[in-house]
Parts: sequence; C-alpha cells; structure tokens
Amino acid sequence: MESLLQGEKQAELIPFSLQGPVLYYPVRHHSPACAYHLERILEEYDPDCILVEGPENANELIPILTDANTAAPVALYYAYRDDAGLLQSEEGEDPAQCQCYYPFLDHSPELVALRAAAARGIPGYFIDLPYGEILLATRDACGLRTKEEKISYANDRYLANNRFVTRLCERAGLRSFAEFWEKYFEVGGLYRTSEAFVRQMNTYCLLSRRNTPEQELIEDGCLAREAHMAQRIQEAAQQHRRVLVVAGGFHIWGLLHPTGQPNHPKLPRDSEMVYPMRYSIAATDALSGYASGMVSAGFYGKIWAALHQEQPTQAWDSTVLHYLVQIGRRLRAKGETISAFDEMCAINQARGLAELRDKPAPGYFELQDAVLSNFVKGEASLSGSEPMRILRELTMGDAVGQLCSGALVPPLMEDFNRKCQQYRIRLREINKQEVTLSIFSEPRHREISRFFHQTVFLECGFAERKKGPDLRRRTERSLIREIWLYHWSAGVESTLIEQSVLGSTMEETSSTRLKQKMAQANRASEGADLLMQGFLMGIGDVSDQLAQRMEKLLLEDGDFLSLCQACSSLNALEEWQNQYDERGTYDYPALLRRCFTRVLQLLPSMNTVDDTVVQDVQYACRLLYQMTERRSFSDERPELLRVFELLAQKQPIHPALHGAVLGLLYGADPKWQEHIKYTIAGYLLGTAGMVVRSASFLQGLFYTAKDLLLIDHEFLCQIDTLLAELTDEEFTSILPELRLAFSYFVPMETNRLGRQAAALHSADPKSLLREGVDAEEYSRIERVDAWAAAQLDDMIEEGEESDE
Amino acid sequence: MIDMKEQILRPQAEQRYRDELEALRLWDTGNKKPQNWNLSPKAVRLFILGSQQPIRCGEQEISIRKKYFGNDALIERCIITLAGNRGLMLVGEPGTAKTMLSELLCAAISGCSTNTVQGTAGTTEDMIKYSWNYALLLANGPSREALVPSPLYVGMERGILTRFEEITRTPAEVQDSLISVLSDKVLNIPELGDEGLLFARPGFNVIGTANTRDKGVNEMSSALKRRFNFETVQPVNDVALEKKIILNEVGALAESAGITQPLDEEAAELLATTYHELRTGVSREGRRVETPAAVMSTAEAISVYYQTLMSAWYYGDGQMDEQTLVENLVGAVAKESHEEMEKIRSYFSTIVCNRAQREGGAWSRYYKARNRLN
Repeated sequence: MESLLQGEKQAELIPFSLQGPVLYYPVRHHSPACAYHLERILEEYDPDCILVEGPENANELIPILTDANTAAPVALYYAYRDDAGLLQSEEGEDPAQCQCYYPFLDHSPELVALRAAAARGIPGYFIDLPYGEILLATRDACGLRTKEEKISYANDRYLANNRFVTRLCERAGLRSFAEFWEKYFEVGGLYRTSEAFVRQMNTYCLLSRRNTPEQELIEDGCLAREAHMAQRIQEAAQQHRRVLVVAGGFHIWGLLHPTGQPNHPKLPRDSEMVYPMRYSIAATDALSGYASGMVSAGFYGKIWAALHQEQPTQAWDSTVLHYLVQIGRRLRAKGETISAFDEMCAINQARGLAELRDKPAPGYFELQDAVLSNFVKGEASLSGSEPMRILRELTMGDAVGQLCSGALVPPLMEDFNRKCQQYRIRLREINKQEVTLSIFSEPRHREISRFFHQTVFLECGFAERKKGPDLRRRTERSLIREIWLYHWSAGVESTLIEQSVLGSTMEETSSTRLKQKMAQANRASEGADLLMQGFLMGIGDVSDQLAQRMEKLLLEDGDFLSLCQACSSLNALEEWQNQYDERGTYDYPALLRRCFTRVLQLLPSMNTVDDTVVQDVQYACRLLYQMTERRSFSDERPELLRVFELLAQKQPIHPALHGAVLGLLYGADPKWQEHIKYTIAGYLLGTAGMVVRSASFLQGLFYTAKDLLLIDHEFLCQIDTLLAELTDEEFTSILPELRLAFSYFVPMETNRLGRQAAALHSADPKSLLREGVDAEEYSRIERVDAWAAAQLDDMIEEGEESDE
Repeated sequence: MIDMKEQILRPQAEQRYRDELEALRLWDTGNKKPQNWNLSPKAVRLFILGSQQPIRCGEQEISIRKKYFGNDALIERCIITLAGNRGLMLVGEPGTAKTMLSELLCAAISGCSTNTVQGTAGTTEDMIKYSWNYALLLANGPSREALVPSPLYVGMERGILTRFEEITRTPAEVQDSLISVLSDKVLNIPELGDEGLLFARPGFNVIGTANTRDKGVNEMSSALKRRFNFETVQPVNDVALEKKIILNEVGALAESAGITQPLDEEAAELLATTYHELRTGVSREGRRVETPAAVMSTAEAISVYYQTLMSAWYYGDGQMDEQTLVENLVGAVAKESHEEMEKIRSYFSTIVCNRAQREGGAWSRYYKARNRLN
C-alpha cells in the first residue's frame, strides 16, 4: 500500500505524535480494531479533553449514552422539520422532514471515546455541525439528504466505495471491501502497535480521499462540516493541553487542512429534535453495508468481547470456533447430521484458509467459507442454504439496547414503555410475540386491545391483529377473542419519537392525530371510520367531540357509496357501544338517523349504477332494510319501502339491483311474490339482451330473498320452465351469473333444489350427482390451473413491459 | 515431453503447464507444504489464479497465466479442503470448468492429473479399487504382482490425488465403495491375506465432480456426502469475463491446431452476450428472455466460436462472419428439439433486433444473419 502513496511518507502528511497538543485518531464506525487501539492510545496519550465526530446538538445527551445503566446498541435520533422552507427547492412544496440515526454499539470507537471521557471525568463532546445545519450545507439528494428511508449519520461510504477500493480488492484477489478491511485492519491490525495501526489507517484514508472528487465533498456538505469541526478543535486546543480528536479517518486530512467555510444560518427554534433511543443490532445491520460500518455486527461484537477476555491474538480464532459450534448445534437441532468431526474439519479449514490468505487468524470470511465447504452438502449458494442462513442469523446477533432510567426520552416514549410494563408486553424479544385477549370478559384485556389499536393508528408497526372481531371491516364479528402479534423494533421507537410532538401519552397523541385526520377528512365514510377507530382506541370522548364534524360531512358528502359506508360504520359503532355498554355523550342514534335519511334521499337515483358498484348498492339496500328491523328504526320502514317501490318502478334499472329490491319488498310483504314471478318471466322471455340479464336479476333476488325459491314450489317450477325454454346458446351465456346467483344457497339447500328440479323432469336425483374427482385427477387439474395462471401472469407481465 | 505435446490431441495439464509448474517449484521455498505435495497451497493458488508479476526460473522469467476465472475464494477453499481430511466434490452446471479445475489441482498438487476414474453407468468397483491379471492370478495365486491397481489404489499407494469424474453417473452401490476408504484411509484386499492392507500415504485425497443436471440419476448417499466438502462451481456471471475466457481458450486451441488467424473480438462479445442472456433469462436491458433447455455454458460458447474460426480458416477468406456464427449457434442449441429454435428466433427478433437498431455494427450484422436460424 505504501507504494501507492506516490513516494510521499504518510507520517509527513498526517502527523501522529503522542506528544502533540492535539492528537487526531482516525476511526471507522463500528470497528473493533479501531476501538481496541483507541483504548491503548487513551492510556498512552492521557488526554484532558476528547472531541468526537457527531452533530453537536446532541451534546446534552452524552451523559445518557455514557451512563452505566445504558446498554448498547443505542442510537441518537435526529430530526429536522423545515418549516422555514430553507431546504425547499420549489415553492408550494410541503415542508421537508428529515431524520437520521447515529447508532452506537459497544465496539463503536466513538462510544468508547465518550465513555472514556466520562470515566476519566474529562470533557467529551461532539463537534460536528448541528444536524439541521449539515442538511443546509448539503445538496439535495446528496449525503444525509439522500432519499433513502433510513439514513445513518455514521456513513462509511467514502472509505468503502470508490475506484481506488475496487482496484485494490481486484489486485489483492479479495471479494469485497469488507474482506479487504477485515484482512488488513481488523485481524491484521491487532498484530500491529497502535501507532503503526493509526499510520496504516491514515495512509488508507488519505488514498481514499484522493480518489474522491472534490465536487462530491462539497455537495455532501463534507467540507463545511470539516471546517466547523476544525474550528471547534482549535477552540478546545486553546482551553486544554491535550486534546484527542476521534473522527472518521476520511475526515482527518480535512480537519488538518480545512477548506470550506463554516456557515451558521439561523434556524428556527424547535425545528430540530434529538433523542436517544435504544436500538437493536438487527437495525444496525439493516443500516449497514457501505452506508454504516461493519456488516454482521453481532460477530464483531463478539470479537470485541473476546478481546477483553483473552489474549487478543486468540480472540479471532476462538470466536470463529464459537460460531462454528453454534451453527453445528443449531443444524443438529434441525435434524441435520453435523458431527463434532465436521466442526473440527471446519475450524481446520478456516485456519488453513487464513494461512493461505496470509491472515494471522481466521475472520468472518474464513468462517463463511468453512461453513459453506463443510456444512453445506450438495449444490449451494451463499444465500440459499440452511447453514448459510443460520450463519447470517447468528452473526447478525439479537442484542437489543437499553437506556438508563431518567434518560431524556420523550414523554410519549415513557408512556409507551410504562404501558408495556403494565400490560406485561415483552419488548426485549427478537421474535414476534403472540397474545390472546378476551376483550369482552376481561376489562384489562380490553385496555391492552385499545393500546394495540393506538399503536396501529399511530402507524408504528408494533402490533397487528391476527384474528378477532373486526369492527371496521365487519368481519368475524362472532368471535369473542382477539389474537395480536407484536414485535418491538427500532422503527417503533423512532415513529413514536417523531409523533411525540403530538402528545405526551399514547391516548393524547392518538387523540391529536385523530383530530388532525378528522379535520382533513372530506368524505362521510372517512369520518365515520375515524369515529370507529376512536372507539376502538378507547378515546370515545374525543370521538364525541368530533361527531359534530361528522354532521357537517354528512351534509356535504353527495357520494352515495361513501354515505352507505358511513351508515354502515355508524350502525356498527352504535351496536358495539351497546354491546360494550359504553355509549358516548353524543347522540349517535340521531346521527345515524340523519345518515340513514341522507342515504334514503339518494337511493332512488341509483337505478342506473354499473356492474362495478351494483353489489355495494345491493349491500346498502339490505343494510337499510336490516336497520329498520330494529325497534328504534322501525318507524322508518314505511318510508324505506316507499323508496324501494319507487326504485323498482324506475326504467331502466340494473337487473341485479332490481332483483335485490324486489326481494326486500317481498320480505316486507309476501304479496310482491306475484310481481316477482311476472318480472322474472319478463326477463327470461324477453329479447335476447334481457335473457342475458335474467341471471343477474336472479342473483340480486337470491341475495335478499333466497327463501322464495325454497318455500314456493310454484316459483321453482316457473323458473325451471323458463330456463327450459332457453336455447343452449342462451343458457350457456347466462350460466356464469346463474352459478353466482345460486352460490347464496348452502349445500344442503342446493341439494334440495336439485332433487326438486330432477323430480320435475322425472329424473333420478342421483343421476344428477357428478362423480367425485379422484386425487390424481384433482392434482392434474390443479397443475393445469397453475399453468394457466402462470401463462396469464406472463401475458400480463409482457403487456406491462410493452406498455413501458 | 515436448514431442508428446506435439503428438497428442490434448496434452495433460502437467504437460501443458510444465514450465509454469517448474518455475513455481523453484519459487516455492519457505512456504509450508502438506506432506507429499509438489507445491505449497500458496503456490497452487498462484498456479491456478495466476500471478501479476512473472516468476524467475533460473535465467528465465515465467509468467503464470490465470487459468480459472471466477470465484478466487472457491479455489482457496478447494486447496485447503484437499490438504485436510475430506474429499473435494465439485458440483455445478455442465461446462462450468469443473473438470479443468480438478485437473489443474491434481497437476499442481500431485504432478499427475491422469489418475482418474471416469464415471459412467457401467463403472464397477474394480475400476475404482483394483482388479486382477487373471493369467498371473491363475499361475501364481493372489499376489501383489497379479493385482492390477485402479486409480484409487494408485492414489493411496503413491500419496497422490485421485480424480473421480461424473461420480453421480455411477451406480450408488459402486459410489459407496469410497466411504470406508475416505474415512479410514485404508484399503482392504482380502485376497492378499495378512498383507492385504493398503494404507494411504500422505498426499492422497479424492476430487469428485458431479453435474447438477444429473441430479437424481444416482443420488449420492448421505454417508458419502459427509465425507466430501462440496463446492458449487457457478457459471461465469460477467459478460466481459466470459468474452475473455472465450478468447483465451480459443486462442490456445487455435495455437495447438496451427491456426494463425487473429481472433475476432466482436464475435466473441456477441457470443458471450448471447450465451449469458440465454442462460440467465434476462437481457442487459432487463428484458425477459426465454431460456433454452440446452446447456448454455461457456464451454459451449468456446466450441461454437472455435468452429466458426475453423470455418473461416479452412473455407473462408480468413474473416469470421456472423452467418457462420449463427449457423454454429443453431447446431449447439437445437440438440434436444426443434422447439428450442423458436426461443432463439424470438431472442433474435426482440433483443438482437432492438440492439441492431440502437447500436448497429456487429449487432446489425448478427441480426441480418438470422435467416440462418431457419
């Protein structure tokens, strides 16, 4: 590598002297080797001030990070809301909201430095620009302003992603930058003196910097940040005798030779927010790759622990052995025949590979190779086999951090944690947890259900209902228990921190959010749904306040389907309020009645609906009919029937709606039976177009009055006669819809009808029964079906491609 | 030895690379070497993956050519496996250079790549272990002189590697004869009585190759699988690299056949791209391509290119043309059924057509040659 320095000595370029007033220590984020040598440098240099690269608006949170009761992984969550429009590129855009994470693991050199400062009782603080100012110094879509969902402050891409690294890996015969780094710095670095390690780091980082275009550094805000950090270092050097600067190796040159201009625009108060949060190693891994330090954080965490327990030179070998044994054990538990001999062969191979690759000890890549060679039997890929999957899972780790008590966490977060503790919800588990709640019999369970509903409403991705009565979709309403799945992740915490501006408790935040959503709602259906969600979340009193808004929506909304949905929701809400005995302070029955009246007003004009919405209108008609069966609504029945009659008389009318309305009129008064018989004959004996629509009429009719066919034999005879008069072609054309019409009958009823129909033609009912399909035939048809589906998928895909 | 090279159709790896192996042997001082290995693991790796700088061999400087293109880590794993207790099983699609790799490993480690069992459905146990010279057997009874050693016996006796090609084509019960030998490293010859034990010398190991297209023909028993480390050799996944391999290999073939015609890089690129896209099912523009059932390996591409080169050399004006290239492509792909040709035609009418319009040049000529697909 030295030869690549174009003849200059790195020591002259970046000085490293333990006698100097300022000592620059280069790091890579989450590197155990950097952290290991930092510990030694701290002992030797004995600084009286430690400066760490990191946005300085988090300085107040450093005591929390270094508290003895705080356990890594933890992260700092930075957020900036651009209310002043400083980041907006176009007028009229919504204010940008940016956030990023700064994760810390036990082996993060930055955390080691901050902990050391706390332990020594010397000042230790961050020196980078505040997060908002970094964003302002960065061009849109660059650096921390990239459009990725999760952005890490601890970004290593300068070290890992440039032409120089690619060439270096090619020449060294290494698969990736990660392998290069491990070989020369993580494993190799342990066998060097701390000074030699730092020199090698500086050499490498300087070469990486030289291969990064300056324009990129400007656009990423890198130069502005470095100028600011250099200024802070200068200030510290005037106050302290021995200042240790712990910063990304890539920036050291920039700190010594700042070229950018620190710019400190005035940011509005409260535009920035920073909170500590516990983190998980899985989330760190998800942020990893080129973005944020080392992959397989669990493995390197284990190395870090081993470095403090045994001879550093043994740490790698023993860690690789540890993982091989663990993987062997997991595979045996899954029924694989992996013996101790296999594990011995694997460790021997890992050691042999290390020797062949001139590494003093096996590392992660030798572990991976040993597992691939020794545990995978047969064709394999790095991603597709069980041993490799277990390797990835184990080396990623499952640690979840913890913040000290009294840590500065938003009150909302505190409330969330308190509730989880109160309801015995386990947050430290890496896997999804399941809980069954008897919401009707156990008041405590109902409270937990409400809490889960609040997390769902706040979209934190914490809980999901697997089973149970669904008030919103009106499904599974006969169930009396709810089954919930929940799983804590760093994303839950970050979402709650983001929402913490809305309130200090889960109820308060949900209420504020509910009010916001209600204010934004412009459909009656949305409003009614929100009222229902308020009820489910146990904040019915807030819903009561919002019901006034619902009145307005009912008046303004002219969409029939939206009003129908609102009616359905309000009806379900009223039913549940009665069921739970939790009636609100608002007059919901009156609200429902007003909604009912609005639907009724619009119903007569729905005669010409198209096929796509006819089912919704049918549903609405049936719902209105069912509502008038309730005592409190029975006085509306005559008016409803009048509207139905009016609708049935309209011409033209969608046959499915026609059938449904006549069915409901028949339900109210059997005298309609004759009219129905007359109408159906009209369809079946009409013109060719009408014949085709007869099946649709029957579908509507059976949707609301299938008993007509079951109790009236004459009706059955009539339909049979009429169907017999159809030509084969006509019959075939209506068959699909006819099938749909008969799908409302249960099998027992279909059998009965079949027998009766057979008797009409003096046929043996058994002769109508189709032979059962045997397993072979069934699987053959299933294959054909799968083939056809695949062909259709391909056709769709091709169609999409040609559209593109 | 040089005479041999000239007389035989395909010289063995140890003959073909004799100079390189000799240079490496002289260079290879101070590196740790497993017992009975001709070269150290580091030198073996260098032999297969090539060196960036030439190696001094006496007065001469010898360049070590890169012979295997692809995953360097796989080569390292193979070498370390062979130095250990387990056999090495190379599995993969046909034409992924498994056999070449096993030859190179044997040539470098043992100096002999010919100690090979060529697995077929008719392979029997005596073809693997040993058989008898029946005249001597009848005359003198069972003795070492009457025993005819087979490759496994030779490997154990001399402490060299034994290659077992296409292991899954041999019947399962024959494959299983390897099980005890691989674990105990001893071969029992009951006919020789007390002297009937052959203990393997250090340096002995087995390299097997198996074709993943033969999966299920004679599946290996799990007991045998446990005695091997498996390495999956993947097809080349980079068009530029595939082109380089085609040119390298065809260059070597042409040289040995005395064909002095310069190689056409554009034709190599067309072929490498076609094979890559038909193998992976995706064009470089991201369009979906129907993959033929025929093996679309780099070895096949080399063969198509070499045929085209020979046509140009013997029949043509010394220029490789796209018409002949397409004709040879047809011969290589339409092995199973003529339906396969529909896929190639469809590839030409969409992907090649599009590229001909956009890029012109060789792609345009290639597209014009589509009439040869009929």
